[in-house]
Amino acid sequence: MTGTAFLTESGLSDWLVRLARQTRLMAPTKRGRRSFAFAWVDDPREVAIDYVRTILPPKQAFLPAREKLLDFRLRPVQESTPAIEDEPFVLFGIHPCDLAAVGQLDWAMTSRHSVPDPHYIARRKAGAIIGVECQPDEYCFCTSVGTSGTREGADLFLTPAKGGFLAEVLTPRGEELLQAAPSVRDASPEERAAGEGWADEKQKRCTCRLVGEMAEWPDRLEARYESEVWDRTAGRCYSCGTCTNVCPTCFCFDVWDEVNIGLTAGTRQRRYDSCQLQDFALVAGPHNFRGERTDRVRHRWLRKFVYLMREYGKPFCVGCGRCTTACTADISLTDVLNAALAETEESAS
Amino acid sequence: MSGSAPASWSRPAEDQLYQPEMAEIVATRSLTDSDRLFEIQLPGGKELGQTAGQFVQVSLFGFGEAPISVCSSPVRTDSFELCVRKVGGLTAALHSLREGDKVGIRGPYGNGFPLDCMEKMDCLVVAGGIGLAPLRSVIQTILARRDVYGRMIVLYGTRSPNDILFADEIAEWQEDPASQILVTVDHPTEGWEGNVGVVTTLFPKVEIDPANTVVVALVGPPVMYRSVLSDLTEIGVPDQQIFFSLERRMECGVGKCGHCQIDDRCVCVDGPVFSATDLKHMHESI
Repeated sequence: MTGTAFLTESGLSDWLVRLARQTRLMAPTKRGRRSFAFAWVDDPREVAIDYVRTILPPKQAFLPAREKLLDFRLRPVQESTPAIEDEPFVLFGIHPCDLAAVGQLDWAMTSRHSVPDPHYIARRKAGAIIGVECQPDEYCFCTSVGTSGTREGADLFLTPAKGGFLAEVLTPRGEELLQAAPSVRDASPEERAAGEGWADEKQKRCTCRLVGEMAEWPDRLEARYESEVWDRTAGRCYSCGTCTNVCPTCFCFDVWDEVNIGLTAGTRQRRYDSCQLQDFALVAGPHNFRGERTDRVRHRWLRKFVYLMREYGKPFCVGCGRCTTACTADISLTDVLNAALAETEESAS
Repeated sequence: MSGSAPASWSRPAEDQLYQPEMAEIVATRSLTDSDRLFEIQLPGGKELGQTAGQFVQVSLFGFGEAPISVCSSPVRTDSFELCVRKVGGLTAALHSLREGDKVGIRGPYGNGFPLDCMEKMDCLVVAGGIGLAPLRSVIQTILARRDVYGRMIVLYGTRSPNDILFADEIAEWQEDPASQILVTVDHPTEGWEGNVGVVTTLFPKVEIDPANTVVVALVGPPVMYRSVLSDLTEIGVPDQQIFFSLERRMECGVGKCGHCQIDDRCVCVDGPVFSATDLKHMHESI
């Protein structure tokens, strides 16, 4: 079932109130003067639909920063049960780049190596997604990685229009969600036409661009394995891991056990880990397979634009700009990538 | 009502992905000051179903989980063995366990050694330190199906005579007429009459027929892998007949956590065994 409806601006806030009464609601909220964050929302007045980017991506809805994998008992006998979280919720207001990121996480956590992750799948199936169209800023580069028009992954997609929103129904679940909205009517042909202007507008607004043909990036970057770009970037990097923490497509994790104070039971949990942290590839010996910062920095770019890109078929980066805006050392993902790609241009000519 | 998550995703059968089975330690003995051997049985005498060179994730609740290679032959199916070196919190806790204690087991994981390619060929086994443990599963398999394989040459290098693993078994392996077992140590103690030096110093002491030899090796730090590979290349063994098992940090064992990634490969799923042909295209491998 697909179709385009029109939802008035006042209808939106009434709708969110109804949704929040029916189910848990995660949505963008305003935190500081210019900072936004996805959060569980009780009062829909907190929802900030006109945000540019949140500090942390909405991936936390499906892959939380900390997540329980098992409950275990130590005595009288050792036993464990998987902890599966599948309480329904609505994830409201995610941008096309983040929708693309959900598709990439779906692949990484379910299809890759044909190993489905039950914890991810349970959360993902429990969540309905309402996407919203956005206005890129100078750090966005979704148009360079082909994610600016993503609809896949959303059940319903809203595009701001005069006096309200165009609502594209993409799945039966989206249809059901929209039925809870008051003052919905069919969109007029003019309103639909206005919604189509967004693609051009985004193309214009995305001033940050990646160079060269996307399909050639893996080979060109691999040829720059020994480039000084990685050394230069490592010279500024603090190995703090912020870039991977704020990334909507990074999925690496660490597993650790927590035991209760009576030493009778506990939980096994996973938490985000980062390939940029020094001990990420450390083994007993000790031997560190990526002990040099240059190796870790290079790994981040090559993983996204060579290794996973070859497996997935598209860059494992959706152009959201979070890592660049959050970097404590002002390292720009696009500047570094463009510098490496430019070298291949020079060596080819 | 279905959402945007693909309807084809089945969930319930896979809830146990990260849940270990509680297995029982049926026997354990000390091999050296820092290495201990555990014989383990899955609940109900279930078969692990591993091939030589695969590993399991070993759990002790409260301490964590670690990837450990199975060191016994898959020919034996009622139990399996793990050789554990005490190197950290989890392995120290494992060392305190005795017969009747429980450990969590997930697996088996990884690809294992290419036993098919080894049929009718001479098998050169190169082991460094605790690398002998996973290779013991290959050695036991060859000896259990002796007529399937050609000559077996085992070259084993370790720190000192006190660190030699499976010394009693090495003596038994040496009794096989079609096998040759050589041991070398870095630091000899008084009375040591064997070879002194790294494992590659044993290559000139054996006769290798390069075209008809398959090499399986697990030799410790990357620098040792590089020197073993360069010596084998000099001897003339083709890359596609050389197989290295690699060690990496792993948290999940199932290709999700990202820790064991080497370029575009996951050691836990695509490895841990790689041919030298593959390794030459993997920058971070050795």
